[in-house]
Amino acid sequence: MAGVRLVNVWKLFGDFEAVKDLNLEIKDGEFMVLLGPSGCGKTTTLRMIAGLEEPTKGQIYIGDTLVADPEKGVFVPPKDRDIAMVFQSYALYPHMTVYDNIAFPLKLRKLPKDEIDKRVKEVAEMLGLTELLNRKPRELSGGQRQRVALGRAIVRKPKVFLMDEPLSNLDAKLRVKMRAELKKLQKQLGVTTIYVTHDQVEAMTMGDRIAVINQGELQQVGTPEEVYDKPANTFVAGFIGSPPMNFMDATVTEDGFADLGEFRLKFLPDQFEVLQEKNLVGKDIIFGIRPEDIYDALFAQVKVPGENMARAMVEIIENLGGEKVVHLRVGNLTFAGKFPAESKVQEGQEIDIVFDMKKAHVFDKTTQKAIF
Amino acid sequence: MTKNLSRALLYGVLIFLVFVYLLPLWSAITTSMKSTEQVALTTPVTPAFPPTLEAYKIAFSELKRPILNSLAFTVFATIFSSVLGSLAGFTLAKLLKGSTSKKLLMIITFGVFLPYQAILIPLVRIISNLGLYNTIPGLILTHTAYGIPITTLLFANYYYEIPDELIEAAKVDGANPFSIYLRVVLPISMPAFVVTAIYQFVNIWNDYLFGVVLTRGEEAMPATVKLANLKGSFVANWNVQMAGALIVALPTLLIMIALGKYLIRGYTAGAVKE
Repeated sequence: MAGVRLVNVWKLFGDFEAVKDLNLEIKDGEFMVLLGPSGCGKTTTLRMIAGLEEPTKGQIYIGDTLVADPEKGVFVPPKDRDIAMVFQSYALYPHMTVYDNIAFPLKLRKLPKDEIDKRVKEVAEMLGLTELLNRKPRELSGGQRQRVALGRAIVRKPKVFLMDEPLSNLDAKLRVKMRAELKKLQKQLGVTTIYVTHDQVEAMTMGDRIAVINQGELQQVGTPEEVYDKPANTFVAGFIGSPPMNFMDATVTEDGFADLGEFRLKFLPDQFEVLQEKNLVGKDIIFGIRPEDIYDALFAQVKVPGENMARAMVEIIENLGGEKVVHLRVGNLTFAGKFPAESKVQEGQEIDIVFDMKKAHVFDKTTQKAIF
Repeated sequence: MTKNLSRALLYGVLIFLVFVYLLPLWSAITTSMKSTEQVALTTPVTPAFPPTLEAYKIAFSELKRPILNSLAFTVFATIFSSVLGSLAGFTLAKLLKGSTSKKLLMIITFGVFLPYQAILIPLVRIISNLGLYNTIPGLILTHTAYGIPITTLLFANYYYEIPDELIEAAKVDGANPFSIYLRVVLPISMPAFVVTAIYQFVNIWNDYLFGVVLTRGEEAMPATVKLANLKGSFVANWNVQMAGALIVALPTLLIMIALGKYLIRGYTAGAVKE
């Protein structure tokens, strides 16, 4: 087992910068999720670690071994990197049985027959594939194919697992189940895993840490709690969380308020101190707050009229069963709140809402970077 | 009413066209079963009565050696050109970068449309210098070389349809390019092999020009060339010629019957993704 380290890695396709100056360290045994919208460079990054793409610049280490460095002319082909990969389409060999699919990497390594047999059966047992060993991939359901692909990766006992959106072709129910199984399996095996997804729920539930990538640039690396509670910029704040964080243009007033135009919200003393230190008093900022930090006044604990409250019009209610997403409007400002299912608000109603200012975020207007 | 009438008209036209199309075949079959006297006394479409296999006996004894020659070089050239085309197609579709592969494929496509006549003189010189004039290996080499562009094209197009992820999975699993070809690509290439083999077999078997310029005596002469020589010097033995033509057409017919069902599958393989 081993960690993975990327140092100043660039990947260009012609003029297009797919990955820009990426620095990332994945610790031994860690479950790292690369999260970002499609085309952000996360899959390219994974493919560079696998050796299916060569970086244009920079170094990649697996364990202590330098596996790619174009300047030194180092490039270790995938077969010698001791990694295993699970593809989005599973990429099972269609003419081989489940048994042969799982045994294939071991056969290529010329392991003794009884050793191969032992390991294939072990893995099949672990993944519940024992009954299916003589079937061909076309005779399997999506979930079963997925498990075979996983089995083919596990059987090798590689240093690193690379997974490229492995759950995205499964139906919603199976995906939730496999999410938990995969996480459990990874902990059980303790193998360093790099997992690419565009699904923030997968990232939050499975990752030990998440690396958020956008337009080829690393935005933030951190535990799920860190990226959720302390997003580094508006992109991360908006990408993680559903519905996404509300952003509103505001001005910091002399007396410690965020002036949103239609109403004002009072910063907490320590928040205002930070804003003063950064010389942002009187300046324009982006005010951010997550929907779950906006409360129906009937359910709120701390209500201070004129400081953390506003009167809003309920435009649309999306009832999710367990909770309600309520689209609110104050004058020209629109934003979403997440209310408990017991909330009795009606569409078209005017209600009092409370902002949990402890959870408020402020971003720099020009750089989009988080102040707090 | 008018619909039925136009239907009837349509069928009338179609039946007429079928008749026109099949008439030469009918003429060949009936003439081949006539005696020499009958050929002289009846029209080419009059049924043979009584039918006789006399012409077939003569034609077969004349064509025996050339047919064996044809079988020998056709089978080997078909196998060699298909295998080489498969390797080249795999390299183009799965090992080279997209832009390089497209450019090479363009050049190879020129080879497909290269007219035979343009290369005849250099071809004869090369084959003679190699000491392969009037030999079966000479014909195998020529047909293999001439077949490679089209077989490469057929295989490359088939291999483009194979998902890249399958090849990448094999790379990560520890396979080198040759074992990827042998263990992953070759086993799923059957439909492409059938299409290519039928195409090559029929083309090589039916070739006349290479055969006529590269052979002289009976020892390597293809059946198609011998067939043209069957017409006598003084009288045209129509019955023997027709019998010979039908005998020579038989192997391609048999190949089509034996492999035809794979041919249709081969044409559609990869058209629909799972």
